[in-house]
Amino acid sequence: MRCLTHPLLRKLLSLPAQCVPGLGTPRKGAVLSPKQLFLRQSCSAGPGLVTATDMVNYWQKVFETNGIPEARESSQYIVSFVLGAKTSLDSKSLHTPLTALQQEQIQQLSHKRLQRMPVQYVLGEWDFQELTLQMRPPVFIPRPETEDLVSLVVEEELQKCENSALCFPVPVPHPVILEIGCGSGAIALSLLCKLPQSRVIAMDKEEAAVDLTRENAHRLQLQERIHIIHQDISHSSAKQLLLWGPIDVIVSNPPYVFHEDMASLDEEILCYEDLDALDGGDDGMRVIKTILALAPSLLKVSGSVFLEVDPRHPDMVEHWLQAHPELLLTLHAIHKDFCGKPRFLHIQKQSS
Amino acid sequence: MNVPGLFHFAFSLRAVQAPPWAGWVLRKQQLSLPSLPLLQAARKRNSLNLLELSEAELEEQFVRGDGPGGQATNKTNNCVVLKHIPSGIVVKCHQTRSVEKNRKIAREILQEKVDLFYKGEDSDVFKEKKTSEKQKQEKKRRAKENLERKKLFKEMQQLDKE
Repeated sequence: MRCLTHPLLRKLLSLPAQCVPGLGTPRKGAVLSPKQLFLRQSCSAGPGLVTATDMVNYWQKVFETNGIPEARESSQYIVSFVLGAKTSLDSKSLHTPLTALQQEQIQQLSHKRLQRMPVQYVLGEWDFQELTLQMRPPVFIPRPETEDLVSLVVEEELQKCENSALCFPVPVPHPVILEIGCGSGAIALSLLCKLPQSRVIAMDKEEAAVDLTRENAHRLQLQERIHIIHQDISHSSAKQLLLWGPIDVIVSNPPYVFHEDMASLDEEILCYEDLDALDGGDDGMRVIKTILALAPSLLKVSGSVFLEVDPRHPDMVEHWLQAHPELLLTLHAIHKDFCGKPRFLHIQKQSS
Repeated sequence: MNVPGLFHFAFSLRAVQAPPWAGWVLRKQQLSLPSLPLLQAARKRNSLNLLELSEAELEEQFVRGDGPGGQATNKTNNCVVLKHIPSGIVVKCHQTRSVEKNRKIAREILQEKVDLFYKGEDSDVFKEKKTSEKQKQEKKRRAKENLERKKLFKEMQQLDKE
């Protein structure tokens, strides 16, 4: 398991042994097989017959007993998934007896969840805006907040078009977008869908992420409009990224967790996700600064950088930009996420 | 959401129970730009002429807990609870695995319920429901008639044979 070898994890000695699947102490709490449990009590559909409701309730109890967070949600997602639904089932599906195969599938997936595997990796897929994307450890799982980052970019592009009085009818935006740290491809592919005339250059320093983005792009038939590069932004020159000319928008959800906060992240994250996708260094700004330093040589005039950041970063970024006036970048706006936290920065390149 | 429950919902939802989840964070949202497209989508949908909702009248809740959010959290509960403050109507939506979609759907459903609440039988929602109920009843009546006709036909055939 990858988490065994990660250098950060070795340093975080306080991690419990059960973080590593297959090693260490067995999980606390008895895990009865559904058959054993159901033989003892008659199920809602009659003795010996197991329904989806029974399964959801059963696995919820097992997860709770074993200290698995979001016990009910996890159980609902797994059972719904096996029955071909997303979040919940209609009343017919809830009360129809499950086949032996379905029970087996639920059991297999639930056992992964018992290992604290994130639900998105257990199911192998997750939704982001209108898209269903494949998910695979250790590629970073898109967070719900990031859906708003996509909306911000789309709004900006639509606004730019409306503002330009150059031609009638109102032109359709066709921006060239660069995404830094594409992960599963969530942001890049959402933008391609919402801005049908756009093109995206997506890069990630991890090969697994590049592969997964490519896979998701193919599944969505978007491969013609996306160029995916296996590249580390810290070792990139502007020239390498200007294959389609100057860029309209740079978008990124860069690693922005403060290094000192990494150790307090949930087991699900620490054991399964790529920690390099999270750790932003001492002040969480390492990759943010790298992106902003490179931005002026990549962007068109009035081009934008959209970043998702930690709520502490807006002030820090503003000060940093003021301390680097040669970059000609200004903090145009700070947007809140759906929990009311300052989360998104809109930075613009001024004309010299 | 259950359409048949629409009538009962609008009038019984005022007594809002505290949700069973732990870690509720209630926020009075001063919603920023991304929400505008959400409401616009609700308005444009269908040809129904519904009362418009303004974000200032809405109160939204998410089960995110007090945690840091963003990258530092990986919670899968994307349930949205949306309240229309003036009427007290609350809508819960967990239909999809996307928070943004749930927010959009919650607004659509809330808009219908609020319209129904204030307009009663004048609401397009009510009228549409009435129409579809009538159509269902018509279908049933016709199906019943057809069955009776077939029965009668068979009986007459039997008589002819004898």
